Amino acid sequence: MTALPTPNQPAPPRTTARAQTQLQVAWGQFRRNRLAATGGVFIILLYVLAIFAPFVAPDGLSNYSTTSITRYHKPTPLHVRDPKTGAWGLYVDKFAQTLNPTTFLQDFAPTGEKCPVRLFVPGDTYRILGIPGNLHLFGTGNPNCKIFLWGAEGLGRDLFTRTIYASQISLTIGVLSVLISTVIGMVMGSLAAYFRGWVDNVINRLVEVISAIPGLFLLILLRSLFPQEANPILVLFLLLCILAFISWGDLARTIRSQLLSVREQDYVTAANALGSSQGRIMFRHMLPSMTSYLIVTLSLAIPGTILLESGLSFLGIGAVEPYVSWGTLLNQTQDGGIASITDRPWMLIPGFFIVFTVMCYQLLGDGLRDAFDPRKRQ
Amino acid sequence: MITFLLRRLLNLLPTFLLATVLVFSIIQLAPGDFLTPAKLNPGISQQQLSNLAEQFGLNKPVWQQYFQWLWNLLHGNLGLSFSYTQPVLDVAWPRVLNSMKLVLVNLVLFYAISIPLGVYGAVRQYSLGDRISGVVFYFLLGFPSFFLALLTIFGILKFRQATGLNVPMIGMTSDGYDSLSLLGKFWDTLKHLLIPGLVAAVGGVAGFTRVLRGQMLEHLRSDFVRTARSKGVPEFWVIYRHTFRNAVIPFVAGIGGLLPGLIGGAGFVEVVFSYPGITPMLLDAIGAQDFYLVAAFSILPMVLLFLGNAISDILLAVVDPRIRFN
Repeated sequence: MTALPTPNQPAPPRTTARAQTQLQVAWGQFRRNRLAATGGVFIILLYVLAIFAPFVAPDGLSNYSTTSITRYHKPTPLHVRDPKTGAWGLYVDKFAQTLNPTTFLQDFAPTGEKCPVRLFVPGDTYRILGIPGNLHLFGTGNPNCKIFLWGAEGLGRDLFTRTIYASQISLTIGVLSVLISTVIGMVMGSLAAYFRGWVDNVINRLVEVISAIPGLFLLILLRSLFPQEANPILVLFLLLCILAFISWGDLARTIRSQLLSVREQDYVTAANALGSSQGRIMFRHMLPSMTSYLIVTLSLAIPGTILLESGLSFLGIGAVEPYVSWGTLLNQTQDGGIASITDRPWMLIPGFFIVFTVMCYQLLGDGLRDAFDPRKRQ
Repeated sequence: MITFLLRRLLNLLPTFLLATVLVFSIIQLAPGDFLTPAKLNPGISQQQLSNLAEQFGLNKPVWQQYFQWLWNLLHGNLGLSFSYTQPVLDVAWPRVLNSMKLVLVNLVLFYAISIPLGVYGAVRQYSLGDRISGVVFYFLLGFPSFFLALLTIFGILKFRQATGLNVPMIGMTSDGYDSLSLLGKFWDTLKHLLIPGLVAAVGGVAGFTRVLRGQMLEHLRSDFVRTARSKGVPEFWVIYRHTFRNAVIPFVAGIGGLLPGLIGGAGFVEVVFSYPGITPMLLDAIGAQDFYLVAAFSILPMVLLFLGNAISDILLAVVDPRIRFN
């Protein structure tokens, strides 16, 4: 019995103390931060959801019926038990519109017909990462009796489906544009710091000009460069570039000021003396000194850009049909006057996805910042 | 002081010129030209068209057009708005003023919320209030301002239905605004500005409060605070006169640069609350290809940037007596 370890026994001391790299230390710190790790896990889940959006969504992105109009269809409640027969089983009511003889308005009412909800039903065809399929996570399998989990939007398309699909756009545009703007900022900042003189002057002036015009106006102005009815894919790409173009300034400035002191370090002089090319000195010797700073800014810039993208789409100058982002979906809340918002509160649901995503990214970013900050080591 | 401000102004001049180049070239590159929408407008005669083409040199090479446009700009002639068939300045300036009112209310509310919170967070570090305000405003950081505005409108409408109280929120003035007295007008506008201003302000509180709290904490531990306390200065003055004044210096320096961002940031709120500010009109102008108007809205806020920089320089000298301008 003596061989069994008791819980109170201290862990055996490590025999080999190995040197850790900075990234290993940061990773160890990061894992201890519960909140940040949770944010990271949820972000991964969101991206998985976005990839499998066509499978999770019960309907196709742009499906709507021209015969039975389901404009602003109320969310259909899921019933677990039939009140008449007492039989168990998930089902939704079938809704149909009838003309109200007194008001002459179209009324929506359950017809009394029940559509059982099943898992893995065949339906709309789609492709996930190039693999074709037609199975959906849940659904009724009857195109005339759809589940409107979160109601429908202005054209009668399922809001749940569209919200899930919209995550594909909303989650990628922000991240990609931050990546592009980081690259621009890195290059511009290092050029300014390394060459100084007129290069520095020109880059600084450029940054000042971009920051002097209010960001939103510059975005609107740049968007107007391209016709309203451009190719939807092209519009997404432009959106990416425009967002990147207006946001590289701050990063370039910080990198410049940091690298100005790095430039005077001995190892840069040594690299210079050994005959390294200018590009090699800038990007292989000087820039890596800012790795941890870059990781932190990157993760903290993403939520801001996601917010900006959603705002542009909300104003109608972001993603265009057939592509949707969460901002575009929110655009319709104001259709038919501001007061109609209380008639269809389900239209606000996509906004909570924006909030949730941004929160997760913020927690992750703050966690990374603390992990890389030597003063906050635990 | 005056010479210093003039020197700062001279420094900003190249930025201004470059910005006009940027705006002008974007507009030149955009599909259609200044007169495309005007030609389609039956309200503008051929004579007017040729006058405009002459005035803005639209028949000349691009670089000459730019200088002519700039020349007109410096003389306060921003061209003609085609959708309003009025001089651009007459159309745009009231909107700029409206936006400035919103930004002003926004700024006042922003500081009224975040300064006490930041100071409280530092003085009572890790207290319940500190933690709660930290969590609440961190949460609000994740809300896009337009979504927060939509939620607010939803809440107000529900509140109205429940209580029957008329909470002003849409637009800038109530019906019958013109019949009000001067003071009444002021109060009416302010009432309409409060909710949009609050919505626009709340999102950024978390960032500012946290940095201010950090700054305060740093200064609260310094020697001069201990000295002040030991010589019997009341705690209130220790905090606000000795610590806060030092902690706030970096923010005062940054006020000038804040303005463009604030005007843009308030834009989303303007759209949701249908407030007659710059952004709703700019969006319409882009849709109608009213390029002179678009150009004016991109240039006019820059004047405000100069103003903002001057104000922040003056404030800096007030807050920090170590700064001398010579």
